[in-house]
Amino acid sequence: MSILSRVTVVSARGLVKTFGRGRAARRVLDGADLDVAAGEIVAVLGRSGSGKSTLLHLLGALDRPDGGTISVAGRRLERAGERALTDFRRRHVGFVFQFFHLVPELSGEENVLLPGRLLGGEAGAARRGRELVERLGLEEVAGALPHTLSGGEQQRFAIARALVNDPELVLADEPTGNLDAESGAVVLQLLREIAARDGRAVVLVTHDRDAAAIADRVLWMGGGRLDPERGSPPRALRVGAGAA
Amino acid sequence: MSNRPGAAYLTGALARLRVRRGRGLLAALGIVAAAAMLGAAVTVGYGLATGFERTAERADLPDVIARFDEERPARVDERVRALPNLEAVSLRLEIRDVPIGAGSRYTGDGVAQVVREGRRGYAIVEGRDLRPRGDEVVVESGLAREWSLEVGDRLEVGGLDGGARVVGVAVSPDNVAYPLAAGPRFYLSNEGLLARYGDPSGAGFGEPPVNSLLLWTRDPDRLEETLTQARAVSYGITDLRFITRSGVQVLIDQAAGIVVALLVAFSLVALTSAVLMLAASARADVERRLSTIGVMRAVGFSRRGVAVRHAGEAALVALPAATLGLAIGWLIAAGPSADLLGAINQLGPGLALLPLLGACLAGIVAVVCAATAWPAWRAAGRAPAETLRGAELRGRGSGAGRFSLRLPAPRGAFGLGVRIVAARRVRLTATAAVLAVATAVVLLMLALAALLERLAEDPGTLGKRYELTADASSTSAREVRALPGVESVSPRYAVEATDSFRLGENLQVIAFPGDHTRFEAPPLAEGRRLRSSAEAEIGVGLAQALGLGVGATLATQLPSGEETRFRVVGLVRALEKDGRVAYTRPRRLLAADPSIEPELAVRLEAGADRAVVERGLAAAGALPQVTGGASTSNRSFLALLATLLRAVALVNGLVCLYALVQSLSLTAIERRGTVATLRACGAGRAHVVLVLAGAAAVVVALAAPFGWALERFALAPAVAGLAADYAELPLGAGGGELALVGLGVVLVAGAATALVARRAAREPIVRGLREG
Ligand SMILES: Nc1ncnc2c1ncn2[C@@H]1O[C@H](COP(=O)(O)OP(=O)(O)O)[C@@H](O)[C@H]1O
Ligand SMILES: [Mg+2]
Repeated sequence: MSILSRVTVVSARGLVKTFGRGRAARRVLDGADLDVAAGEIVAVLGRSGSGKSTLLHLLGALDRPDGGTISVAGRRLERAGERALTDFRRRHVGFVFQFFHLVPELSGEENVLLPGRLLGGEAGAARRGRELVERLGLEEVAGALPHTLSGGEQQRFAIARALVNDPELVLADEPTGNLDAESGAVVLQLLREIAARDGRAVVLVTHDRDAAAIADRVLWMGGGRLDPERGSPPRALRVGAGAA
Repeated sequence: MSNRPGAAYLTGALARLRVRRGRGLLAALGIVAAAAMLGAAVTVGYGLATGFERTAERADLPDVIARFDEERPARVDERVRALPNLEAVSLRLEIRDVPIGAGSRYTGDGVAQVVREGRRGYAIVEGRDLRPRGDEVVVESGLAREWSLEVGDRLEVGGLDGGARVVGVAVSPDNVAYPLAAGPRFYLSNEGLLARYGDPSGAGFGEPPVNSLLLWTRDPDRLEETLTQARAVSYGITDLRFITRSGVQVLIDQAAGIVVALLVAFSLVALTSAVLMLAASARADVERRLSTIGVMRAVGFSRRGVAVRHAGEAALVALPAATLGLAIGWLIAAGPSADLLGAINQLGPGLALLPLLGACLAGIVAVVCAATAWPAWRAAGRAPAETLRGAELRGRGSGAGRFSLRLPAPRGAFGLGVRIVAARRVRLTATAAVLAVATAVVLLMLALAALLERLAEDPGTLGKRYELTADASSTSAREVRALPGVESVSPRYAVEATDSFRLGENLQVIAFPGDHTRFEAPPLAEGRRLRSSAEAEIGVGLAQALGLGVGATLATQLPSGEETRFRVVGLVRALEKDGRVAYTRPRRLLAADPSIEPELAVRLEAGADRAVVERGLAAAGALPQVTGGASTSNRSFLALLATLLRAVALVNGLVCLYALVQSLSLTAIERRGTVATLRACGAGRAHVVLVLAGAAAVVVALAAPFGWALERFALAPAVAGLAADYAELPLGAGGGELALVGLGVVLVAGAATALVARRAAREPIVRGLREG
């Protein structure tokens, strides 16, 4: 982990994103900078509507910035073509959403295999998918349809799906926002592990300070920029409490 | 109440429509498609179904037309005046084979009708009627159309110095129009000719003779009585033939009846499927708005209020869309349908169509409103919390799975598409049903077009097994048989006769010496084949018209006035002459009228070249004629029909496309969350296309066989029965049509997939994730 932590996975500079036009225009991001290293988990806190999700969308190539530069895993996203972005999303980034976004017609395991098998991704994806299902303790419910699963189970399947193509970057948008405290803790623990054990870069968006406590660094989104959260408590002091 | 709340309501509804522009547009398109189908069906169906009556009305068509050998008008007049139940009479002289020309056009087959004072029996559709001047002519509309004649043009008429000026164009439905009829008709004034040329016959008659009369009765129901009386007083008038108004209609039907009836029958099918489509799409629209309904109920709208609001919004979309669609359907169908009517000398409905289209408009709006209000009413009847929760669950993409079928679907994006549509069984069923009906109708139209071609080209369709006929006066059957390529030859007698008891009913008596089924074998519907010259097989059409069955006696009056009787031993499904035919042996016919001349029916050897035999016959002076199918052998007429059928099929193809686009769009809109998730996981445009292709494939796989079965086992028999229950119409689609329609459906599915995928893949992923 020590050597990985020095590899920069995400490097964003001067991100600008505006919604609306004319008088209704709103500059949601206004010069946001962000660096995330491999094996590092960065939490982004901020008020609702401050632009946290927007930031994740830019980092995950779901949307394009109006200004600034983004480099993820050595790829420049702001000028890449649609094809390159599709390929990038498939190989280099994994998303975890607040509302899970599992495909309701597919079983939990099929959802996990979706990016790999369904989309003809990497060959190792199927094997990795099964390993992940096992590792996340989901073998028992692997064949069940999402609506029969608890929120926590659904979110664990979603995490497995985000990881199946072995991405360098995992983006989690309020992953515990729809879970009870206990399931939320399990999910946070998993994200922690993904960073620490697998050496991935994780950006965790949340408005919950307790959730942010698992992060290596906590940033505050405000006025369209990211600033270090002052007075954020060291992780080591809080992680045990958060998981309890 | 002032209209302020109304205006506010309208503003609100319009605003909501603007917000949901995509969905509003989709619903509107569906209404446009259904309305277009309805508009086309109504335009064609109404125009054709009412064409004869309408034109007969406007043309003041007489109840009876009598033709006879030339006779002095005073003599005819004197006899006719004595008839009972008589309202009016007009005498005419019909002169055939008059050479006429205009500009570079010329024909020797002109039919001059020299009319006298009194009722005309035709309708002037352009210009004015004749005045008693010798240099004026009124031409039939078929001639005007074919030769581009206009009022004021000159028509050269053989025997009339300097020709005549066209002062008017007339339509009379007592015959089909030129060029479907061999000779173009034109009308001259008897008084005018007399004034200009004096007595043309110069034979001292005092005035020119007449050879036909038009007769109007006071009470058409007592027509038979008048006709019987007319027969009785007709001594001395030779070659007397009557044709009644209903007889005229039958004659016209021989030219176009089956097609007209088929089109009318099709209109009914179109009507049903349009209503089905409208209801299905309106329902789907409400389904998508369940959450809105929950919110409305939660903020205090009454159940009725919810239903009324939904109906109102639906009307707002339906009214302009249905107007547009009806206009499109009318535009597509009006031209070909008017041409068809023109060809059979019938007038278009003109403005009379407007109230009907207006009624369709009202009907469509009512159906859409009802189909919207009813599910809204039902949804609003549930507890708001339940409606909201239902909508929310679906919104989060975890509720829909409850309905999903665990299909052994193919893997990959395609398989996902299959599962996604299979999850919404009601929608899948509705879409597949619409597509199946539309497919079936298209199949039917194509089968119909093919049947028409066969009717015209292939005598076998009518049960005729001879390829050529020849004139028997200059050659003998033996000589013809000796020609190379000829398999067998038989004299064929065909006589136009009337029923002795009902003189208005015409039939054709066909006689072969020996076994007629070797030459003409319409399928036997009942009874047996004839065995002696005292027996007859009659067409089901005739049996229905005369109320005859097996075992009854058919009494016919031949043109000579002689009567012959036959025992009916069998009913046959003959298509020709609307089934008003009787097959027998020639002995009794010849006994009654020895002057009847046969023609020769010529069967060719298998593989023989018809053209070679034709040349051989021509060389022998036997005037060979190719046996046509139905009496409509005119190609331009068939081309008209084909155009009409194609127009109808085109509208239906559009309906197929729409049904698929609508279903896929609904799926894509509803599942935008899933699509966005897939794209967030790295699905590219190709994957989105595959998902939608899977969805389309399920619909097509369900609809195609169902559509085929519907055509084969329901539509074809029903339409054939409606069109001509006296004959067997092979209306089942053949391999070629199936292949064509299969290809069409695949193309349509591909187009629908591409259209919807393009839009779905363009939508920002982020928006799909937020709203899905
Ligand atoms: N596609 C969009 N169109 C218009 N406005 C948007 C869009 N996406 C986000 N916004 C606006 O940008 C602001 C930030 O949104 P978001 O990034 O979702 O905030 P949060 O920090 O709560 O995740 C909000 O005011 C939101 O309304
Ligand atoms: Mg957010």
